Amino acid sequence: MNKPEKAEVPLTSLRDGETAIVTSIKTACGKGRGRGWGFAKRLMDLGLTPGTRVTVVKSAPFHGPLEILVRGSRIALGRGVAERIFAEIEK
Amino acid sequence: MTEKKLVFALAGNANVGKSVIFNYLTGLHQHIGNWPGKTVERAEGTLHFKGYTIDIVDLPGIYSLSTYSLEELVSRKYIAVERPDAVINVTDASVLERNLFFTLQLIELETPMIMALNQIDLAKKKGIEIDTRKLEKLLGIPVVPTVATKGVGISQLLEKTLEIVEKNQTAKGKIRYGEEIEERITKVAEMVEKIQFWYPPRYVAIKLLEDDEEITREINRIDPQITRAAEKLAGEIENLHGHSCSTVITSERYEAAGCIARQAQKIVTPTKPPLTERLHTITTHKIAGYPIMASVLLLMFYSVFTFGNYTSELISNILYGWKPFFSSVLGGGIVEKLVWGGIIEGLIASVTIALPYIVPFYVILYLLEDSGYLSRIAFLMDNVMHKIGLHGKAFIPMMLGYGCNVPACLGCRIMETERERVLAAFVTTLVPCAARTVIILGLVGQFLGFQWALTLYVVDLLVIFAVGRLAFKTLPGEPTALIMEMSDYRKPHAKTVLKQTWFRLAEFIKIAFPLIIVGSFAIKLAEILGLLEPIAAVLSPVTVLWLGLPAITGITLIFGVLRKELTLIMLATLLGTTNFAQVLTPVQMITFTLVVMFYIPCIATISALVKELGWKKALFITVFEILFALTIGGIASRLLMLVPT
Repeated sequence: MNKPEKAEVPLTSLRDGETAIVTSIKTACGKGRGRGWGFAKRLMDLGLTPGTRVTVVKSAPFHGPLEILVRGSRIALGRGVAERIFAEIEK
Repeated sequence: MTEKKLVFALAGNANVGKSVIFNYLTGLHQHIGNWPGKTVERAEGTLHFKGYTIDIVDLPGIYSLSTYSLEELVSRKYIAVERPDAVINVTDASVLERNLFFTLQLIELETPMIMALNQIDLAKKKGIEIDTRKLEKLLGIPVVPTVATKGVGISQLLEKTLEIVEKNQTAKGKIRYGEEIEERITKVAEMVEKIQFWYPPRYVAIKLLEDDEEITREINRIDPQITRAAEKLAGEIENLHGHSCSTVITSERYEAAGCIARQAQKIVTPTKPPLTERLHTITTHKIAGYPIMASVLLLMFYSVFTFGNYTSELISNILYGWKPFFSSVLGGGIVEKLVWGGIIEGLIASVTIALPYIVPFYVILYLLEDSGYLSRIAFLMDNVMHKIGLHGKAFIPMMLGYGCNVPACLGCRIMETERERVLAAFVTTLVPCAARTVIILGLVGQFLGFQWALTLYVVDLLVIFAVGRLAFKTLPGEPTALIMEMSDYRKPHAKTVLKQTWFRLAEFIKIAFPLIIVGSFAIKLAEILGLLEPIAAVLSPVTVLWLGLPAITGITLIFGVLRKELTLIMLATLLGTTNFAQVLTPVQMITFTLVVMFYIPCIATISALVKELGWKKALFITVFEILFALTIGGIASRLLMLVPT
């Protein structure tokens, strides 16, 4: 598979205003329908599918949630969620 | 034309103006209840149009038709099993792509449907122009542009919907997935066609490949061969793409939605960001966001309490003005005592909380919600709430709790999981409501000074934090993180806000009024029968020995179950003075107030808890809080003794 391992970072490491392409959502228990399944499904239902452009607008202070723009909609993501979404920064 | 009955369902994402359309269509002919056996709200209304009686069912606002949440499950089942005559898909024109993702799933359900392309005025402001003709062609369903808040396009929407019903038109279009997926969908669909099932075969096939929990379970019961085949085929897709099959299908569906959106819309980004955008930036700003939030909340509390105190007094004066009239009719004696003291005073008590405090609270809250500000507050408060295992949204019911715990408990429905609803409801009952505020300010604030009252509030916050954290650590399960859309700010729609308020008020009246009245009656009866003194005596080991309070406070604590501020009124009556400094020591005042703050949610709150969480959890919370309040009170009285005053 063509997995661009090196540039893959969680959304939380992006700077405010930076745009990246979603590569994967890491769930707690890997494959199958575990606890993380519904969580990943929900994010994808909101448009965070692999290959989608996502912009981190800003993050709230003291490790607060992130505000992201994806497919024209503005979504608030708790830090715990954002840490599990991996993306590749556009050059 | 004969009077014919039809059912239309409104379906769409949250915050697209669905409820505005619903209100517009049905006016006051609405009925709000729950889906059978679920805590998901079901709103229904009726309208008459062109000789038809049309039932409108407002489905919950959702983003998908998978089974992530109860709302999604309920909606999907409703459309597939109960088969409404038409589904009206309400969409937000300014976020077309994401809305189309849901539309495409509805189309897969092969139901007669139409799209209301709503908020086209807001989209225009953002520089988005949509070619509805093209959209109709691409989707294969009629599309009607609407501005629901102004009533634009609504009658056209109804006419078009009737048209598709009369022509018996179902959604024709379908998305084509990639060849390798289509091939496998067809294979599964062919197998599904042979069995009896309420969803369309192609839909079932797609859902089986997506490993949808409900459908896989149901099909497995009918013919496990099909699920096994689907699992194998899904594995093949997974190997081809390197992602799970459900990810691949979701991606492709979004691709299709994006493709349609790009073809149908033209975006010209305005040179200057629109006002709503600038408002968003400042209200969620790292620094400025917090003082703005604090000011909004303070203003809200201040206006609610000012309005509440004034009106509450006014109403109770008017109602108590009827006392002589009742006395003359009932002629004094036991009957008068029971009817007046029990039933009517109970009624007055209910009215004087409900109208003056709860109504303005709801109005302001729904104004904030409808405008979009509540989601910004949730964003700002998220990390604080995380400390007690909740996320930002839980701050909203907690805030409501400062007005009255009953709507606050009902408001905990906005939390996603059962675990969070329990946690949020529990924490919420510890928030000092308006009635408890009366005691804190009226007893401690007045006689010991404002700084002591403030200290109690701080103690309360600390307790909420500590107990919340404890509950969070002990309750099994993982906390859910915040995933929330922050839709653009918009002007709140007055009618919708008022209607929401009205329905919530009706709910409160239904829950609380009977209980408060019956409770008042029972206590009055006990008083007449002379049972209060013995009860106080029974309670005295706790009140006198452990808490160090006068024995009669036991009686007042019983009254407090009905309505917390009654404890203070009763205390005055029983002690024969309103100058509490003469009869209570400062330590006793603080102990008493602490106990009242925590000891039990009032009877109306308990019933709200029963309604939302079931009686077991409600009982547990109640018992816990009684024991907790007594513990805190006892410890505080001993500690405070050590403080030189």
